[in-house]
Amino acid sequence: MGDGPYAGLANYSQVWHDPFFWKSLTNTLVIGGGILALGFIAPLVLALSLNEVLHARFKKTAQMVLYIPHLLSWVIVGGIWIFLLSPDTGLVNLLLQRLTGTQPIHFLAESFWARWVMILVATWKDMGYSCILFLAGIVTINPSLYEAARIDGASRWQQVRYVTLPQLLSTMKVVFLLNTMGVLRIFDQVFVLRNPSTAPDVDVLMVYTFEKGIMNMQVGVAAAASFLVLLFTLALTLVVRKLTRFDEVG
Amino acid sequence: MMGSERFERLGWRNKSFDAINLLFLLLLMLVMIVPFLNVLALSFSSGLASMQPNIVLFPTEFSAEGYRTIWESLDLWRPFLNSTIVTVVGTVLHVMLSSLAGYVLIHPHVPGKKAMITFILLTMMIPQEAVLIPLYVVNKDFHLINTLTVLVLSGLVSGFSILLMRNFFMGIPYEIAEAGRMDGAGDFWIFAKIYLRLAAPGLATVSLFEFVGRWNMFTAPLIFINDSMKYTLQVALKSIIIDTSSVSSNYLVTTNVKMAGIVIAILPLIAVYPFVQRFFMKGIMLGASKE
Repeated sequence: MGDGPYAGLANYSQVWHDPFFWKSLTNTLVIGGGILALGFIAPLVLALSLNEVLHARFKKTAQMVLYIPHLLSWVIVGGIWIFLLSPDTGLVNLLLQRLTGTQPIHFLAESFWARWVMILVATWKDMGYSCILFLAGIVTINPSLYEAARIDGASRWQQVRYVTLPQLLSTMKVVFLLNTMGVLRIFDQVFVLRNPSTAPDVDVLMVYTFEKGIMNMQVGVAAAASFLVLLFTLALTLVVRKLTRFDEVG
Repeated sequence: MMGSERFERLGWRNKSFDAINLLFLLLLMLVMIVPFLNVLALSFSSGLASMQPNIVLFPTEFSAEGYRTIWESLDLWRPFLNSTIVTVVGTVLHVMLSSLAGYVLIHPHVPGKKAMITFILLTMMIPQEAVLIPLYVVNKDFHLINTLTVLVLSGLVSGFSILLMRNFFMGIPYEIAEAGRMDGAGDFWIFAKIYLRLAAPGLATVSLFEFVGRWNMFTAPLIFINDSMKYTLQVALKSIIIDTSSVSSNYLVTTNVKMAGIVIAILPLIAVYPFVQRFFMKGIMLGASKE
């Protein structure tokens, strides 16, 4: 298979002119962007909130519990959520019905919900992981800064706003950059949670590559597509590095 | 007077803030825990009870029939065995090779050391997903498709593990190695008897990362394996739990069976979780500070 005839840029041009490629790029950017945003804010809020807890045992237990989903594979997490979100026997819809009495929502079949489900489940899964990175950053903040702030009469919120957040900036940059590099490569999650009715809204670049290369055996086209993904990732990483002025803080 | 009143008010505000904060965290913990309770309860319910639209946190009509069905009738023991083999063999080899490579990189006078480290860092920049198709082609040429060997081989060494092990080795004073050499010890002896022992937490970290990663490995078996005898647990579960219709058309997979599958796949991870607690956090930080 490695000795196919030289094709020039034919594979690239086929990918470039394939509307499905651009559709899946859009999906990737929307879903990936959502995961990037929510997957950054949620663990940050969580870490700040955990940091305010003085009870050490509770803090440790909470951290432990919140980390569990990150350990599991997407097949397991996907399987759990497909069940939880199912319209007739799923816990989410049962709770919604009891509380608000609305009709069951077909979370995994409606195109409005499909992308939200991807973003929310990804956040649910990885929140505990990023939270630990933030917490580790918070621990290294010099305690005398808080002391000085308290002497100046800063409230707890002011301490968070004017000491913790600015001091956490370099950790935030690391976490954001690490998450950015993962945006374009999401695959397992979508492959597990997708279904024919939501596929047009959620099929991402790696799913496109998989279908081309493995399902349709168009290895050349798939390789061209994955090389483009690689280029996009590099470009995105460079842009984020520039935007966050990553090098300046290190 | 004024002062103490202000203090009281602040105290009250502090307390209510703490209460709300605690409530928020408890709620989030529930969001994490309840799905698992639901899964566990359903897996121990009878087939019929598990299909009822009820909010279930305790088994109804307790039975282990779900476990029997998935293990024996659906032959989950085979993918479980495959996953165990791939995970154990892969992890052991990965840890051995990565620590050997890491050991090479701590010596001050290794020719081309800088170039090697740069090259290793470069491999970490390339997402594994982006090279899956070329990997598929190469593995096919080596006739490795549909073997468990290919699953052991994929990700056999990683830049991350090499540099992590190097970081741990760097924490050991180099004088110890020099002293060993002075006493006539060979490099392999120094590596095995001194470095591996002193860097035991590092070994544990890399082993755990690798164990969890390999147990959860999905993309590689999905692409490299299509013989159902060689399926790993994740791929088998994907077809049982998620595309149920493709398992068999005349056999309805009830919810308790699916949930039993999920519990079985989670068990080994729960077993290593206490150790994860001890070593992961440190490892994550070392890994993140590398970037």
